[in-house]
Amino acid sequence: MLNFEEELKKFRPSLEIEDAEEIIYNQDIDDMSDVLVKLLKEAKAESDTAKRSKE
Amino acid sequence: MATTRKKLESLSNRYYNEGLEKATVRDMTGAVEALHQSLKLNKYNIDARNLLGLVYYETGEAVPALSEWVISKNLQPEDNLADSYMDMVRSNPGQFDNINQTIKKFNIALNYCHQDSLDLAVIQLKKVLSLNPGFIKAHLLLALLYLKNGNWDRAKIESQKALKLDTGNLLAKRYLKEADSMLLPGESGKLVSDVASSENDEVIRYNSGNEMIIQPVKKSAIARSNSIWGILLGIVLGVAVACFLILPQRIQSINSKNQEKIAQISEESDSKSAQIVAYEQQIASLKEEIDALGATVTEYEGVDSTSAAMNSLMKAVNIYMEDPQNYEGMGEALANIDLDVIKGDVSAEFTSLYDYLMSNVGPQLAKSYYNTGYEAYKNDDFETAITNLSKAYQYDNTNVNTLYYLGNAYNDSGDTDKAKEIFDAVVTQFPDTKSAAAAETKLAEINNSNG
Repeated sequence: MLNFEEELKKFRPSLEIEDAEEIIYNQDIDDMSDVLVKLLKEAKAESDTAKRSKE
Repeated sequence: MATTRKKLESLSNRYYNEGLEKATVRDMTGAVEALHQSLKLNKYNIDARNLLGLVYYETGEAVPALSEWVISKNLQPEDNLADSYMDMVRSNPGQFDNINQTIKKFNIALNYCHQDSLDLAVIQLKKVLSLNPGFIKAHLLLALLYLKNGNWDRAKIESQKALKLDTGNLLAKRYLKEADSMLLPGESGKLVSDVASSENDEVIRYNSGNEMIIQPVKKSAIARSNSIWGILLGIVLGVAVACFLILPQRIQSINSKNQEKIAQISEESDSKSAQIVAYEQQIASLKEEIDALGATVTEYEGVDSTSAAMNSLMKAVNIYMEDPQNYEGMGEALANIDLDVIKGDVSAEFTSLYDYLMSNVGPQLAKSYYNTGYEAYKNDDFETAITNLSKAYQYDNTNVNTLYYLGNAYNDSGDTDKAKEIFDAVVTQFPDTKSAAAAETKLAEINNSNG
């Protein structure tokens, strides 16, 4: 037997046209490449920091 | 890095292909998931993004669709299919507005659900689906509401519609399973709600594909005739109950009411009769009172007439003393004196004074009245003639012509009794005159005409 209240929670209001601009600006469109670039930058920054501390 | 990028692009394309395949078989949920994966691996996969927008648009989610196309256009301004998709939306503003309205109505319906106004939500969702039958979320919410209300058959239909639009929709599958579980096992198409209402055997409902068929139950002629006999029997029993139980009681109550009314009316009649007798007695006493008052009034009238006659006589005497030739004024004053009426009530002095005045002015007054009366008689004005000739005779009873023409005036006016009386007086008082002979002739004529 379905729980109506629980099922109802699965339904979200549909996005209206007035919200379109906000959605476009706030949408996270980062892909795997962006993530990898960030990771590499962070790794490089960490290694630079470690070198400086040894010196 | 370049190798990694190529690997990511390759993986992205693989997900894109998977999404395309799923979209081809209308597995919209699967397509959305695959295309999202594709874009997570390579945000520049324009085909995947454009296809994601198309899938969104197809499921009734116009705003996410537009968002994807706008981002796509932003990432690749030239040679982009998103242009044509957005042009399609722009070129048909009515349809886009329609879709926007359905979205708003869906949100209102969802709000009704949260406020526990489920009936209003159902009505609203039906409106939404009549405007945009491809809105999957609306089908699903409506199916859920039908499940909540126990309309398993309708919930099944809505779930099936949602699954037809999105074959991979998990919610639709769950709702369909739930609805199916409430249907009778082994009787394909026959529904629990049908069984519940099957006791009256009026209709049979079943599903043919996605359509629900409602068919009236065919009844045999015997079954119909049985029902007719049942109705007739019911009518007969009803009439019998009315005749043997209800009618006697009713008649008795009407009779008792009528008797009460009769008793009441007879009481009223008795009281009215008593009142009538009292009124009759009252009328008799009032009549006696009226007679007594009438006698009193007559007495007062006599006094008045005598007093008036005395005043008139004194006025006439006064005129005579001032101007003995003013016959007209004296005539007017004496006109109101009728000696026949006041004969017994006046004093000897009054009579003496009246006679004295008459001996001095009577012939002149009589002549004046005679002339007026005679002229009136000639002109057939008998009423004036009778009045004036009567006055003339009153003032001078020695003129036979006055009396004769008075008789003629009565005779010509049609008062033959009075005419006979006057003519008799002419014959009696003035015998051996021409007027007496003429009066006798007239009397003979009157007697002949009456005889």
